[in-house]
Amino acid sequence: MNDHPPTPVGILGGGPWGLALACAVARNGHPTLLHSRRAERPDRLPAQVAVTADLAALARHARLLLVAVPSDVVREVARSLGDVVDGAHFLVHGIRGLSGEGLTPISEVLREETPCRRVGALGGPALADDLIVGRASVLAVASRYPEVTDAVRGALQGPLMRVSVSHDLVGLEWSSALNGALFVALGYARAIGVPPALLGGFLTRGLHEAARIAVAAGAEEKSLFGVAGVGDLLAAMSQDDRPECQLGAALAGGATLAEAQARSTLRVEAATLVPRVVAFAKEHRVEATIFATIEAVFSGRVTREAVLSGLMQRR
Amino acid sequence: MAEAAPIFHFNDERSFIVEEVVARVSQAARDPLLLLNDAAWCEIRRLEARPGKERAEYERFRELARSIGRISESERRRRVEEVARHYAKDIAGNFDPRVYALSTKVLPTALSLLLSPKDLSLGLRASGKLREHLVTQGPIERIRALSRRGTVIFAPTHLSNLDSVVFGFALDREGLPPATYGAGKNLFTNPFLSYFMQNLGAYRVDRRIRHDLYKEVLKTYSSVLIERGYHSLFFPGGTRSRSGMVEEKLKLGLLGTGVEAFVHSLRRAHPQRVFVVPATINYMLTLEASTLIADYLAEVGRNRYIIEDDESTRVERVVTLVRKLVMTTGSVVIRFGEPMDPFTNRVLDDGRSVDLRGRTVDPATYVTRDGQPVIDEARDAQYTRELGEAICRSYARETVLLASHLVAGAAFGKLRDAFPGEDLFKLLRHRDEVFVPGDEMERRVADLIDRARALEDRGLVVLGPGVRGAPASAVLEAATRAWSGYHTHAVLRPAQGGFVLGDTNLLLYYQNRLAVTGLGFHPGRRRG
Repeated sequence: MNDHPPTPVGILGGGPWGLALACAVARNGHPTLLHSRRAERPDRLPAQVAVTADLAALARHARLLLVAVPSDVVREVARSLGDVVDGAHFLVHGIRGLSGEGLTPISEVLREETPCRRVGALGGPALADDLIVGRASVLAVASRYPEVTDAVRGALQGPLMRVSVSHDLVGLEWSSALNGALFVALGYARAIGVPPALLGGFLTRGLHEAARIAVAAGAEEKSLFGVAGVGDLLAAMSQDDRPECQLGAALAGGATLAEAQARSTLRVEAATLVPRVVAFAKEHRVEATIFATIEAVFSGRVTREAVLSGLMQRR
Repeated sequence: MAEAAPIFHFNDERSFIVEEVVARVSQAARDPLLLLNDAAWCEIRRLEARPGKERAEYERFRELARSIGRISESERRRRVEEVARHYAKDIAGNFDPRVYALSTKVLPTALSLLLSPKDLSLGLRASGKLREHLVTQGPIERIRALSRRGTVIFAPTHLSNLDSVVFGFALDREGLPPATYGAGKNLFTNPFLSYFMQNLGAYRVDRRIRHDLYKEVLKTYSSVLIERGYHSLFFPGGTRSRSGMVEEKLKLGLLGTGVEAFVHSLRRAHPQRVFVVPATINYMLTLEASTLIADYLAEVGRNRYIIEDDESTRVERVVTLVRKLVMTTGSVVIRFGEPMDPFTNRVLDDGRSVDLRGRTVDPATYVTRDGQPVIDEARDAQYTRELGEAICRSYARETVLLASHLVAGAAFGKLRDAFPGEDLFKLLRHRDEVFVPGDEMERRVADLIDRARALEDRGLVVLGPGVRGAPASAVLEAATRAWSGYHTHAVLRPAQGGFVLGDTNLLLYYQNRLAVTGLGFHPGRRRG
């Protein structure tokens, strides 16, 4: 059930996000090919989705390729992908993170490693599980090329999925990445018993801080207050199963970062990201107390009491 | 051979080109009524107050405005063609190979005549020397090879009215084909200059006409020329850089015609390759420095900027400039950047596009859908935006730092240190107040050269011929010598055992060339 004619879509990544996107696209009746390096076919993958281990086959299958691999391998994957795609392909990633010391947006990595120009990113509050089981949800897509956002909308928009469109690619990527860190903080705060009112205040401050940081990186401020920004945070308030929130809760429970990471199903990108974001804010003279606090939590330097009193302080 | 360039046959093709432009503009017009009404509305308002010559033009548009509501759609389209033809004919220049041959010999002279038609003898004497003192750098061999395989669009930085002439001269000297360019119509009012520009293939741009139909004709004209192999010169900054900074943002209108021409040509049997060559034009002294920086400060400062004095007379200054420019080797450096295709891919000698990982890319894949070339305005606007960004990155990397920029940077650093925390406009008020001992000045220059060299090692900027390997004292000497007696108000005035910081506006102007590299103060960014 979809207004858009069936158009082939290729998906890269056999992890939970790759599976989720494959489910959503196949549900809309588009011929879907999933590229996975894992030997076995993912459990819950719909029967009509074909699986391949051949990147060239993926590139031949579709013009629109959705990239859903962990951020630490995206450069390497993109480099191999670059050998089989050409200027006609659209590359759209769904990775919540920024790459390397330079906090390079993932779309920029795709451009550096492939000949493709028409790149984009997915964001927004949808959880992998929403897409897999078919729960009504919302995704955001951003690209500076309207052709790309049109193609993604065509692939994903359906009775169970609303796709919100923006042209501010930098805004979506930074917003998503920074939200990842705020989710951890949210999970932590809830676990140490921060009451709802204070939680609301804290998230609002976090959002404004994220907005200032993202603007310094070239984002449009309003993007932080869209679906991939504030929409994402509002949803997280009641998404207890969000992996980032669970990681935060584990940290609050006294686990070290390594222990907490090990328990998580999805890779949480925020852990490596936050110290770089704090350094970036400092360099650009942007006030970033909340992010500095999150960094302290990750490093295990602070007690729960110190975090709590930090949230109450005014300077 | 440069003589093989299509521009040598321009006159034969002229009427064909005009008709091609008219046909395309008419085809592309989605709503002739709106287009004509906008043109009439703009022109009536503009011409209303002008008596005499332009009266007939005014009446024509009055008549048009009155009738377009009543006439049929096909008649409207015919009127669009009529107006477009009128503009296209006005824009199209002429190219006379004899004038070209003559002018390449006398171009350096024409250069001085351009700004000072009164003083012929001085221009003649200076011309020979300018030949020696203009330095050209960059992958010239490759650009020459590419000019035989496709259309080259030269996209230099823009500082001075001398730019197009100096650049044209450099192209000729390096055995590169001549490039056509749009010149402001006001420059055509001087009969002498007009004769040269007209016959060198320059086309006329009337900046006073602001409506869409005129802009469409202009862009289509450029697009048709590129498609037909005419090498072109754009100043994508739009106007001269007022601040003296290297452009960080470009006007994309004309630049977009590169992409458009490429897509159009894909429909033909022999697609035309399009290569974009960014370049920086670097001057030790800028002719119009004082006026330009005053314009800039008045615009950004508004009520914070207090006007100090007026510009001196023009002729006098041109004379001094030419004398100054020929004194110092490398006082004008033109540096060509890496050629790229319209999609920012690097281009090799054989014309192949390669991506950042060195893979060959077919540029047609960016604009074809199911094997067919497709024009998509939104997509092409974005390609053009990214091309503009790539050109700006090239500008920053290929900026050539000359003595005047570095010494101004060192002096401006002193000014800021002397008044910490003051904003730009307060700072600029401290003219002739700050004394810098000679050894301190030298130390500051040396320090800046060291930092510039570190950036150069990372490929982020280029040290000029008179700066690389020179001791700080020599660089300081070169800059003060160039400035002395050129600008009305001394920039750096020698005093007992040191210097007094004189014209702070000009110090800012010359140091602004460092701004984008991060070596100097950046007036557009928050203070770091």
